[in-house]
Amino acid sequence: MKTGSLAVKPGPVVAPPAITDADFRKFAEFFYRKTGIHFDDSKRYFVDKRLVERIESTGAENFRAWFVALRFETDGAELQQLVNIMTVNETYFFREAYQFDCLVNNMLDEVAARKRPGSRIRIWSIPSSTGEEPYSIAIYLLERWAKIDQYDVEILSSDIDTSVLKAAQRGIYSQRSVGNLPPQYLKKYFTPNGDNEWRISRDLVDSVEFSRVNLSEPTDTRRFRDIDVIFCRNLLIYFDDLSRRVAAEAMFDAMSPGGFICLGHSESMSRMSSLYTVRRFPDAMVYQKPLEA
Amino acid sequence: MGLKRQADAALHPVATRDYTRDLPGLIAQMSDVEVAVRRWAVRDLGSHPEAAAALGARLVVEADSSVRSALFSSLARLGGGDVVTAVLPLLRSEDPELRNGAIEVLSGLPDAVAPHIDALLCDGDSDVRIFTVNLLGDLHHIRVVAWLERVLMHDAAVNVVGAALEVLAEVGTDGSLPALRAVAQRFPDDAFIGFAVALAIERIGTP
Amino acid sequence: MYRILVVDDAATVRMYHRKLLSDAGWHTEEALNGVEALECVHAQESDEAFDLYVVDVNMPRMDGYSFVRELRRLELRHQAPVVMVSTEAQRQDVDAALDAGANGYLVKPAQPLDLVLSAALLLGDREAARAATQGVRT
Repeated sequence: MKTGSLAVKPGPVVAPPAITDADFRKFAEFFYRKTGIHFDDSKRYFVDKRLVERIESTGAENFRAWFVALRFETDGAELQQLVNIMTVNETYFFREAYQFDCLVNNMLDEVAARKRPGSRIRIWSIPSSTGEEPYSIAIYLLERWAKIDQYDVEILSSDIDTSVLKAAQRGIYSQRSVGNLPPQYLKKYFTPNGDNEWRISRDLVDSVEFSRVNLSEPTDTRRFRDIDVIFCRNLLIYFDDLSRRVAAEAMFDAMSPGGFICLGHSESMSRMSSLYTVRRFPDAMVYQKPLEA
Repeated sequence: MGLKRQADAALHPVATRDYTRDLPGLIAQMSDVEVAVRRWAVRDLGSHPEAAAALGARLVVEADSSVRSALFSSLARLGGGDVVTAVLPLLRSEDPELRNGAIEVLSGLPDAVAPHIDALLCDGDSDVRIFTVNLLGDLHHIRVVAWLERVLMHDAAVNVVGAALEVLAEVGTDGSLPALRAVAQRFPDDAFIGFAVALAIERIGTP
Repeated sequence: MYRILVVDDAATVRMYHRKLLSDAGWHTEEALNGVEALECVHAQESDEAFDLYVVDVNMPRMDGYSFVRELRRLELRHQAPVVMVSTEAQRQDVDAALDAGANGYLVKPAQPLDLVLSAALLLGDREAARAATQGVRT
């Protein structure tokens, strides 16, 4: 390529929009109010970078203009984008495992204490995504719940997206997805599938009942009854206010009295519903449908 | 025992019921003695626009929180002027659950509630004015800032003004600065008002 | 160091109360309604608890009185004085505060001296109480 006298003049350098301290605090306060997630000054870099990305994506002139649009939009689309970008949403086996610890160390024992031996216990994992969560629950039950042989445990798992449901039933996972598993479990429940993948055992696939469900659709959710434990992690945070309360109510309906529900670690019923009681166990804080409900 | 999978076990068959699920049947079920029956009826009524008044009327007598919650959700789903009419009176309720539920529903219906805001902001009851300002805090309407600025200029009640300053810290513009300075003058001895005005000015920032 | 939980749905009020209380030398945390406040309480480590709660009455999801009633049912270590903060001061409001198990009552907007002195006395913090009275003109 020829250079020299045909050198092209560079255009004006456009600086990325500035995020002032006041901007950051305004954003942090709004985001905390909406989601319960705190961003303090130590997260400046993380947050500023993503705010700039949203400002540029939406074509807003600066933070102010973008924030006004966000605050006054009628469809909640930008807020959803924002939540997406500010949260980490990958799935893998034994993600947030302290809640599974809580399941086998406390929740299930309380549930079982109210039932006769041999009776049915139901656990609902929603969203199933590609299956890591319901299968993690299955492994935990088999390996770490002392009473597994005394009860019939059903694992139900649902998602709105049929393609991830299909993937869940195929049961093939990347190295990254299984990375958190103790090696003995990997060996016991998976077989290698090619170089970098693992296939989960058919027995585990068969132990989960998958279904397509839209949590905002009463006709979908009313089919679920007598659920003793619900895992609904890192889903509701992406819903708008109304959809969140509708979902929280639908799950309340689906649960047995005294049933438990676990949300994602940065999610809280304080932004969704007052129907549940807060319960603190050694491993985790969860929510409970009142026994008298 | 152990892990069990029963095909379609989760899919509870929809049982035939004593009542029909048409509008009169559902409205009748809102008075059923069983909480779950009332809840399901309320949920189904969320797709019947003609049910707004009946849902609103039920709120006043319903004691169970889970049914109340469902009532508010169904009203929010229906939206529209009839829902606003049914829910507005609850702003005066002594029951905080009803008041807050009303605010939540109304804040999702900006166009339907907007025609009522001026009157609410002039209400003789300062509590009603506070709740209206709270409502503005979540309302997505172009006149929110103007309404708040008017509160700053004219409302005599310090807690109504305080509530407005709270919202303006988030949505205030350069145009709000005169009103902010004026309200600081109107309440010169109140430490909280001084604090809130300074905060709002700081949050509005420089262009 | 004394630890205070400030509960109010208004961010400005939380900031204002927290500033006054931390200027008086205390550590503060916050919650924006009764549910979040209960979560905050439950999240305390087993060897930690709040020494005082400053609680707004009117909040969505779970109001101040409901929070205090729930608080009073929890383990002993969480039992600490509660100051209600309310726009009202009618007889039924004060009755409600007493019935719920509160120990103090301030009318909004709380003035700095009132909040800090109430807190200092309920905490038993004589130094902070004295410091608060410095420069008070009568």
